[in-house]
Amino acid sequence: MGGLILFIFYGSILFFVIASVVRGLRYASAPLHVHWDLYSGSSVYELPDWWRKTESAFGKKLRAMVLDVLFLREFYRRNRRFWYPLYAFHAGLYLLALWHIWLFLSAVTTNIESASSLGWIWGTISTVLVILGAAGILTMRIADRDLRVYYPPIHYAKWIFVLLTLIGGMVAVDIHFNSSMPVLLKYVREQVTFVDFEHKLHPALAPALHVLFASVWLIYLPLGHVFQVFFRYYHFLRWDEVPNKRGSEVERRVKDLLERPVTWEGPHIPRGKRWKEVASETQTDPGTGAA
Amino acid sequence: MTVTSEDLMPLPPPLEKGKTEPPIRPLPENQRKTYESLLDGVSALSLPKPKSKDEEEKLVARFLRGLEKLLSQNDNWLFWQPLMQTLGGCVRCQTCSEACPIYVSSGRQEIYRPTYRTELLRRLINKYVRKRGRILSRLTGDDIELNWQTVARLAELAYRCSLCRRCSQVCPLGADNGLITRELRKLFSQEMGIAPKEIHDAGTVQHLKVGASTGMGPPAFQNMVEFMEDEIEDRTGSRMKVPVDREGADILLIHNSGEFMSWIENPVAFAIIFEKARLSWTLSSDIYGYEATNYGTWYDDVQFARIALKQIEVARKLKVKKIVMAECGHAHKGLVVIADRILVDDMNFPRESFLPLLEDLVLKNRLKLDPQKNNFPVTLHDPCNIVRLMGIIQPQRRILGKICPRFREMEPHGTENYCCGGGSGFAIMSSTNFPDWRAEVSGRMKLKQILEAFKDVMDPGIRKYVCAPCSNCKGQIRDLLGRFNVGEPYNIRYGGIVELVANAMVDLPKPFIEWEQ
Repeated sequence: MGGLILFIFYGSILFFVIASVVRGLRYASAPLHVHWDLYSGSSVYELPDWWRKTESAFGKKLRAMVLDVLFLREFYRRNRRFWYPLYAFHAGLYLLALWHIWLFLSAVTTNIESASSLGWIWGTISTVLVILGAAGILTMRIADRDLRVYYPPIHYAKWIFVLLTLIGGMVAVDIHFNSSMPVLLKYVREQVTFVDFEHKLHPALAPALHVLFASVWLIYLPLGHVFQVFFRYYHFLRWDEVPNKRGSEVERRVKDLLERPVTWEGPHIPRGKRWKEVASETQTDPGTGAA
Repeated sequence: MTVTSEDLMPLPPPLEKGKTEPPIRPLPENQRKTYESLLDGVSALSLPKPKSKDEEEKLVARFLRGLEKLLSQNDNWLFWQPLMQTLGGCVRCQTCSEACPIYVSSGRQEIYRPTYRTELLRRLINKYVRKRGRILSRLTGDDIELNWQTVARLAELAYRCSLCRRCSQVCPLGADNGLITRELRKLFSQEMGIAPKEIHDAGTVQHLKVGASTGMGPPAFQNMVEFMEDEIEDRTGSRMKVPVDREGADILLIHNSGEFMSWIENPVAFAIIFEKARLSWTLSSDIYGYEATNYGTWYDDVQFARIALKQIEVARKLKVKKIVMAECGHAHKGLVVIADRILVDDMNFPRESFLPLLEDLVLKNRLKLDPQKNNFPVTLHDPCNIVRLMGIIQPQRRILGKICPRFREMEPHGTENYCCGGGSGFAIMSSTNFPDWRAEVSGRMKLKQILEAFKDVMDPGIRKYVCAPCSNCKGQIRDLLGRFNVGEPYNIRYGGIVELVANAMVDLPKPFIEWEQ
């Protein structure tokens, strides 16, 4: 049993890394889509001869991304009621993620015996924040008809699993490790230094369950919608003013795409031709009606 | 479901009392028997009912094949990435619902909610393309049956959203429910040959056949140019030769051909302004050279690409330096923005909006203008395609700020504007009872905005002007003012922005804008 948990734990980390890279690469290598954009303010098209004046908006986008991710700015602007629990949940998650990183680093770089209780306060406040946020979102999802109708049943299970993971963490820290940072850090050190395998193969129930829950999240995250949400910042998706200039990388990619076959079978679309050919011809036969 | 008078969002004075008769006429018996109208009793597509079970099954199979293509990188490379973002990124927070003028105006009918059609599509995809089993489908809420009724409803539903993408603008996660509408339209057109006749047969097909979606061929265009010259003589007191096919000119100006047919004063104002500013410009009489529209923008990638390439070819042949799009919103978005990623080598031709150019002429005093000639309340309708979908927001405001002393904004405006209700082809779709729906539901928010913008000057003795720099929006505003009888009786007229510039010109012997009262 202990070996299985060990396998799942380290396996889930490996899966998380590999699946994230694969999904990221799949998205990055997707064909360049046409310029279908939205603007939150003035764009380069307000200028005469705009194609001479475009510049990289990478810095602007990076800033927008950081602010959006840190503060859920768009939710704050557009849906304040939803933002309150959502932000509590996310702020707690960010703090909790940082806390885990701190735990791993402290476990191998500091004197465990003299660890203060500040770490415990940090972890507890973060966890409580996430629990409050999650409970708030779940309540809204259940109480608000508009939110409830469109929410698939399986998503409720996800929220319950979130709460179980968090409560499991608190049980492990506060009951099993007796809220003692030195004991907790000692356990973490065993996990990250690959020593004392005997301990790992026969873990105590509370930390083992928490690790198991965390492993499930590591497997789910690269497959779930969180990554998709993050992809909206991808270079060519939104607020994109990169023109297709002659001889540019964009033009090279467009040329490749125009060589692809048109597979649609509507009555106005000839068979067996490439996009380049189909776009250049003049189809004057209406060919409407269900074919 | 049928929208009733009680459902509809109330309108401000003088329309606060509402109507007693049904806002949307039911389809006559013969049309109800012939066309699918299961969704809401309205028929935008005049979609014939299948004659047999066998035909139904074939159509459903065809829909499913189109759905698979929609999700394939190879088949749908043009929109695959943003489509995946929307299908996978939505968290059902419903932030977008209140942003949709159609959903709000209809009294929040569920079927018009921006996420409704996306949710249907997502569930169909999960069950029939990704083939989740029955149990998982139940758990993920994807337990939906795909049959002809579902397909027919989705087809009509694709024409209950005007692609204004206000919902997409407010989505905190970058999901684009407007794109879902377009992708559905595309599936129906590109795989099943289903599209509104006004947009396909009488739209893009006619455009490719005769040169313009209005059916105007090159000889008719030449007649229009003569008509323009007569109009110019009448308005300026002197005859002017409108430049046509002038090789090597700096600018090829392309109008929506609907302007020539319905609002000749708009191309006339452009001609007067450009000539007075001594610009090097020309119109084209070549087939495809005098039509800015590209209805493919709204429903079909293939038709879109065909038309865009033909328009560019005309400019290349004329050896002009750039194409300038006149007052047509979707033509701006289509040729300047979307086409950017299908044009390569020497087909990648410079193209821009008329607005930066006009701003330059007005603000740098290249025209003699007297703002007092426009001393009447003016409000601005922001065409979605030019503003939210292209980011041209300030030039038109700086122009109006300079030439219209009583300019007032609608609320909200700029990138937060509301669609006129005629976007994405709605303004030209006039079969069966669709115009009722267009005016009463999709145009309702714009009518409310116009009336509120002028609420302190509703006295019919005060002239009022709705500036709508887009042919499609003008058509819709014309229909709204007429249907609700608030145009002429309250002295509200509509028009483009160049008419206001021409009206302010001190060189003209009489006002350019002719008021009806």
